[in-house]
Amino acid sequence: MSTDHNFSVVGKSLPRSDARIKAVGAAQYADDMFLPGMLHGKLLRSPVAHALIKSIDTSAAEALPGVKCVITGQDIPKIKYGNWRLVPESQDEYALAIDKVRFIGDEVAAVAAIDKDSAEEAIRLIKVEYEELPGAYSVEESLADKAPVIHDEYEQTTPNISLDRKIEYGDLDKVFAEADLVLDDVFTVHATSHAYMEPCSCLSEYDHDGRLTIWTSTQTPYFVQCLLASTMEMRENDIRVIKPFVGGGFGGKMEMRPWEFCSAFMARKLGRPVKFTLTREEELATGRRRHPMRIHSKVAFSKEGMLLGKEFNVHLDGGAYNSMGPTACFLCGNFGAMLYNYPNYRYYGAHVYTNKPPAGAMRGFGAPQALFVAETQMNVAAEKLGLDPVDIRLMNAMESGDEIPGVATISSCGFKESLIKVAEMTNWREKRKNLKPGQGLGLGCYSFISGGVFNWFNTRYNFTRAEVRAFEDGTVHLMTMASDIGQGCDTVLRQILAEELGLKVSDIRLTAADTAVTPQADLGTWGSRVTLMAGNAVRKAAQEIKEELFKMVSLKFDLNVIHDLRCGDGKIYPANRPDRAVSFGDAVKMAQRANRGEPIIGYGSYTPRNKGLVTPAFSFGAQVAECEVDKETGAVEVKFMTTAHDCGTPINPMSVEGQLEGSVHMGLGYALSEQFIMKEGKTLTTTFLDYKIPCAEDMPPGVSVHIDTYEADGPFGAKEAGEGLVSPTAPAIADAVYAATGYRCMDLPLTPQKVLASMKKV
Amino acid sequence: MSLPQFTFLAPTSLSEACALLEKHQGKIKIKAGGTDMIVRLSHRAVKPDFLMTLKKIPDLNEISYTPDKGLKIGALALLREVEISPLILEQAPMLARAAHATATVQIRNMGTVMGNVCNASPSADNIPSLVAMNAIIVASSGKKEREIPIDEFFLGPGRSALQANEIAVAIKVPKLAANSGVSYQKISARSKVDIAAVNIGALITLNEEGKCKAVRISMGAVGPTPLRASLAEEFLLNKKITDETLAEAGRLAAEDASPISDVRASREYRKLMVEVMTTRALKEAAGFASQRVVKCKSS
Amino acid sequence: MKKELITLNINGDDIEIAVHPWRTLNEVLRDQLHLTGTKLGCGTGDCGACTVLLDDQSVSSCLTLAIEAEGHKITTIEGLAPEAATENDLENLTLDPIQESFIAKGAIQCGFCTPGMIMSGKFLLDHTPNPNEAEIRAGLSGNLCRCTGYNKIVDAIADAAEKISPTK
Repeated sequence: MSTDHNFSVVGKSLPRSDARIKAVGAAQYADDMFLPGMLHGKLLRSPVAHALIKSIDTSAAEALPGVKCVITGQDIPKIKYGNWRLVPESQDEYALAIDKVRFIGDEVAAVAAIDKDSAEEAIRLIKVEYEELPGAYSVEESLADKAPVIHDEYEQTTPNISLDRKIEYGDLDKVFAEADLVLDDVFTVHATSHAYMEPCSCLSEYDHDGRLTIWTSTQTPYFVQCLLASTMEMRENDIRVIKPFVGGGFGGKMEMRPWEFCSAFMARKLGRPVKFTLTREEELATGRRRHPMRIHSKVAFSKEGMLLGKEFNVHLDGGAYNSMGPTACFLCGNFGAMLYNYPNYRYYGAHVYTNKPPAGAMRGFGAPQALFVAETQMNVAAEKLGLDPVDIRLMNAMESGDEIPGVATISSCGFKESLIKVAEMTNWREKRKNLKPGQGLGLGCYSFISGGVFNWFNTRYNFTRAEVRAFEDGTVHLMTMASDIGQGCDTVLRQILAEELGLKVSDIRLTAADTAVTPQADLGTWGSRVTLMAGNAVRKAAQEIKEELFKMVSLKFDLNVIHDLRCGDGKIYPANRPDRAVSFGDAVKMAQRANRGEPIIGYGSYTPRNKGLVTPAFSFGAQVAECEVDKETGAVEVKFMTTAHDCGTPINPMSVEGQLEGSVHMGLGYALSEQFIMKEGKTLTTTFLDYKIPCAEDMPPGVSVHIDTYEADGPFGAKEAGEGLVSPTAPAIADAVYAATGYRCMDLPLTPQKVLASMKKV
Repeated sequence: MSLPQFTFLAPTSLSEACALLEKHQGKIKIKAGGTDMIVRLSHRAVKPDFLMTLKKIPDLNEISYTPDKGLKIGALALLREVEISPLILEQAPMLARAAHATATVQIRNMGTVMGNVCNASPSADNIPSLVAMNAIIVASSGKKEREIPIDEFFLGPGRSALQANEIAVAIKVPKLAANSGVSYQKISARSKVDIAAVNIGALITLNEEGKCKAVRISMGAVGPTPLRASLAEEFLLNKKITDETLAEAGRLAAEDASPISDVRASREYRKLMVEVMTTRALKEAAGFASQRVVKCKSS
Repeated sequence: MKKELITLNINGDDIEIAVHPWRTLNEVLRDQLHLTGTKLGCGTGDCGACTVLLDDQSVSSCLTLAIEAEGHKITTIEGLAPEAATENDLENLTLDPIQESFIAKGAIQCGFCTPGMIMSGKFLLDHTPNPNEAEIRAGLSGNLCRCTGYNKIVDAIADAAEKISPTK
C-alpha cells in the first residue's frame, strides 16, 4: 500500500463481507429462489445457423398438460434492443426471432409450465419450419463476394460489416519507408467462454400494482431495467430489477437477455412468477464469447529499438449480432496503441457479422487480443534487434503524463517499475541465459482501463451514484446500484466508506443493486469501473455527511475556524486535539436535532468529464511465465507466474490478489486449453469435458507484487485491478514456448499440435 | 436438463436382473455407478423405458487375489476402491493408475471399473491396461457364466460382446508372469483432468537375456475399439530392448492406429502420440520387467 | 408415472419425500427440499458445484438418482455448520474449520463453486488429514472455479488441515 497515506481500513486484507453467507451455502442466487405459484420457463433455440422462419406450430406444446404459455416472435412487440442506445441503428436484436434466425441457438420461442419436465417436453413439441439460407462462418466468408447477407438492413457496400472505426495520427507511410525494422504479421485469436460457474438465471414477478420485479443474474441491473422497459413497452419506473448473489460474470452478463425478456413478458401475461435457468450446454453452445479476431499488425522500429509507428488492422468476428462488439472494436484500437509511445499510428477495426453465436464483452474487452499481438511483436523485435525484451520495453514504455494523441493522457503509471521489478524477481537476465532444453521464460505486459468514459448506453443519469444515511447509533447505510458479481465491490465500497467516515466496516449496512431502492443510476459492473467510479461517489456522499457533522463538532467545542476536523475510531475530533472527540453517533444526533429531525443523508455521484475518450485512469503491469515443453508431445506446462502490477492503492490487497490469480487462470486457459471447436456455425465443445477450463492441478503457483502508485482520480488512490491482467498471460506463455522450442505462436490457442507442427512432426 | 422418464428396476439377485434384461430387451439400460449413463440419459443419447441398477445385487463389489487365479474385480468395485486397493497396488499397480486417471474424484467415488469397460468408449481409461494384461470379462446370464477374453469383448464404440440377457459380473486379471512389467500412458495434452486423446497399455515379458519374450500393446482412442499394435508386437518379439527397438515399435504402433479427428485431437496428432506414448509405455514396462518385480508406484 | 415414497437421511434428519425415479439427488435437494446450498453448475459431473457427501464419500449430486440415495447418509453444505440454518448471527458463529479457512484466506469470490469446493475439501481432509500441495490440488481437481485461480482455495485447505490435524 501507499506509504504516504496512513489508512485505517483501506489497504487492509479484510475477509469479504459476504464470505460467511457464501461459505455456509445460504447465499441465494437467482436459481435458488422460489415463489408461490412459480412457473418454469424454457427457450426453444434454432438448430440451424441461418434460415427464414416459414411457420411455427405451437399447438401441440400448448395442449400439453401443465403448459401455461407459449410465445414466439409473433407475440411480442417488434422492438429491437441492444446496449449501444447512442447509435439506435446498432440495436439489432429481437428477444425472440421474428422472421429469421442467424445462429445456432438463436431464440425462437419460449414456454412457461408448472415444472421443468413439462417445459422441456413442450419445447420438443413446437414445430418450426425453416427455409435454410447459406451461412457465413468466418470473417473471410462474410466478406467474400456474394456472401449471404446476415442482416438485410446492412445491405450496403459491405453488407456484413455492422460498423467500423478508424484512428490515425502521424505519418505512417514515411515511417515504414525509413524504418530499420518493420514487422508485418497476421495473427488470429480465438473465442473463449466466460464460463462463469453460475449459469444464467432469472425470476420475474408481476404484482397487482402493475409493477414487474425481476431477480436476475446480471452485472448491469440498470441496463436490464431500461431495455426491458423499451422492449415490453413499459415505463422504467414500473420495472424493478434486483441483483441477487451472482456467480461470476466476466462481461457475459451485461446485456438484457432473451430469457429475462421472456420471463418478464410471460409473468406479466400470466400473473404468475416465471423462472428461467439456462443449462451449461446452452451456455457453452449459444452463449456470448470473447471476440475471435484476425489482426494484421505492421510495426516499425529504429535499429536502436525505438518504436516508430504501427498500423493495426482488425477484423472482429462478431457472430450474429452486435452485442458489445462496437465497444470491443473501439477498445481494440485503443489498446493497439497502449503501453508504449507510438508516435505514428493507424487503426482500422471492422465488426463483421457471421452466423455464429454473438461475441460480446469479456474480461479485457479487446485488450487480450490487441496485446497478444503487440507484446508478441515486441518480443520478436527485441530478438531481431539483439535487445533484451525488458530493455526494448523500458525504452518505449509510457510514463505518467504521456499522451495518446486525441485519446487519453496517462495519469499515474507504474509500468517501468513493474518491468524492472518483474525482471528482478525472476532473475530474468541470468535465467534466460541458462535455460535447460525444453525450458522457456517469456514476458508479457498490459495496461487496462478503470472504467470507460464513453456513454454508449446513452444514460441520462450520472454514471454512478451513492447515498449514505447516518444513524444516531453510529452506523451508516450505504445504498448503491454498484453490482457485486463476485469481484468483491460490496466489501471494497464498505472499506472506502469506513475509511472516509472513520468507522468500522461492521458499522456499515449496505443495500446494493436494486433499481427500486438504490439511487439512479449506475452503469453496472464492467470495464473495471466500479472501484474508481462508485468508490468516488461513495466518498463524495460520505464527505457530505462529514460536512454536516463537522458543523456540530465545531459548534460543540466552539472551535477556532483554523481547526481541521477528522473522523476516526468512530469519532469526530479536531486533528490536533483528539481528546476533544464526539462519537460519530452523537454527532449525528446533534445534527439531527439542530435540523428539526431531518435525517442525515449524503449523496455523491461520479461521471467522468474531460477524461479523454477512454478512461480516467490506466493500470499497468508486467508478467513473466516460466514454462516447460515436452518436445515429444508438444504439451506445455506452466511452472510459475511472476507478476508486478500497478493498480494504484489496493483497497483490499487480498481481494486484489484473488482477482489477479483469477486473471492468470483465465489467461492460462485462453493461451493453452480453452477453445470453441465449431463446424459450420455449430459449437461442438458444449460441456466442461470438452470446453477445458484449467483445474486446480493445471494452475501454476505464482507470486505477485504491487507497484506503489497513487491515482489522483481514484478513491484513496485506487484504480483498476484484476481485469487487465488477463492480457499478458498468453503472450508471456507464448514467448516462453518460443524460448523452449523455437515455435512463435501467432495463432491462439497454443496447442500441442501446433508446437509439434512447427517442428515438422505433424 | 431433466432426465427422461423411465421405470426404475432394482433387482436383488443376478438371476432376477438377467430375467429383467431378457424381458425388456431393447428397452432397458443398465447402470452401476451411473456416471456415464445419467449424462447419456440427460442428453437423450439413450431413451430406455427401463433403467436397471445393479447396486442392490450382493457380492458384486469384491476385489480379490489368489496366486493361481489372479485378480478379480467385481462389477460394482468403484474406481476409487481400485485406485487405493492394497491388493491392486501390489499385484497390478497400472490398474490403479488407470483408475486414478479416470475423470474426477467425485466420479471415481461413484463410477466402477466395469462400467468404464462396458461402456466400450474408445477413450476409456481402464481398458488399455486390462487389454495389455489379457484380462477376462466374466459374463453371467443368471443361469450360467461364460468368460470372454478381453480381446474379443469390444465390437465397436459402445458395443460389447455381451448378449442381451448377460451382465458382466467380474474382471479377471491373470497373475503377471515373472520378468514382466506393465505400463499405462495417457495423453490428453490440455489438462491434468481430461479425457484421453490417446492412451496406451503395454505389457512386456523379458527372457533371461533381456530379450522380449512376450508383449501386448493396447491403443485407446485411435479406433472404434481398443486396438492391438500387432506390427509393433511382432517386431519386438525376441528383440533386445533398446531405445532404437522401442522407438521402432512406437513407429509401427502408429501404423496400426486408425484415429479420427474430433474435438479432442486431430488424426495426425493422435498418430504421432501413439508413437510417443507406445515407446514410453514399453520403456516403462520393460524397466519394471527388468527389475524382475511387478511393483511400481502408482502416479 | 407414479412417485415413490422414500426416506432420505440428510444432514442427520430423516426426510420422507415422494420422488419420481428419474429425479436426481440435486433436483430433490434444490427444487423439492430447497436446500439450495448445493449448486448445479453443469449437470454432467464435470464442475463439482453439486458435490455432496454420500456415506462420507464425495459424489456429484447431479449424477446421483435420488431413489438410490435412500439408505445412505447424505451430507450437504448446510450440514457442515447446522447452526447456520437457525442462528442468524453468522459473524459470531464458529463454522466448520474448512469454512472458516475459506473465509479467512480469501478463497471465496463469487461463491458459486464454494459449497462444492468445501465438500471436496472435507472429503479430502477426512481421508488425507495432512495433504501436501499436490494432494490438495488433486483433491480439488474435480471442482472448477472461474474466479480465484484456485491458489487461495489451496491455501485455505492447507490452513484447515493444520487446524484440524496439527502437524506441529
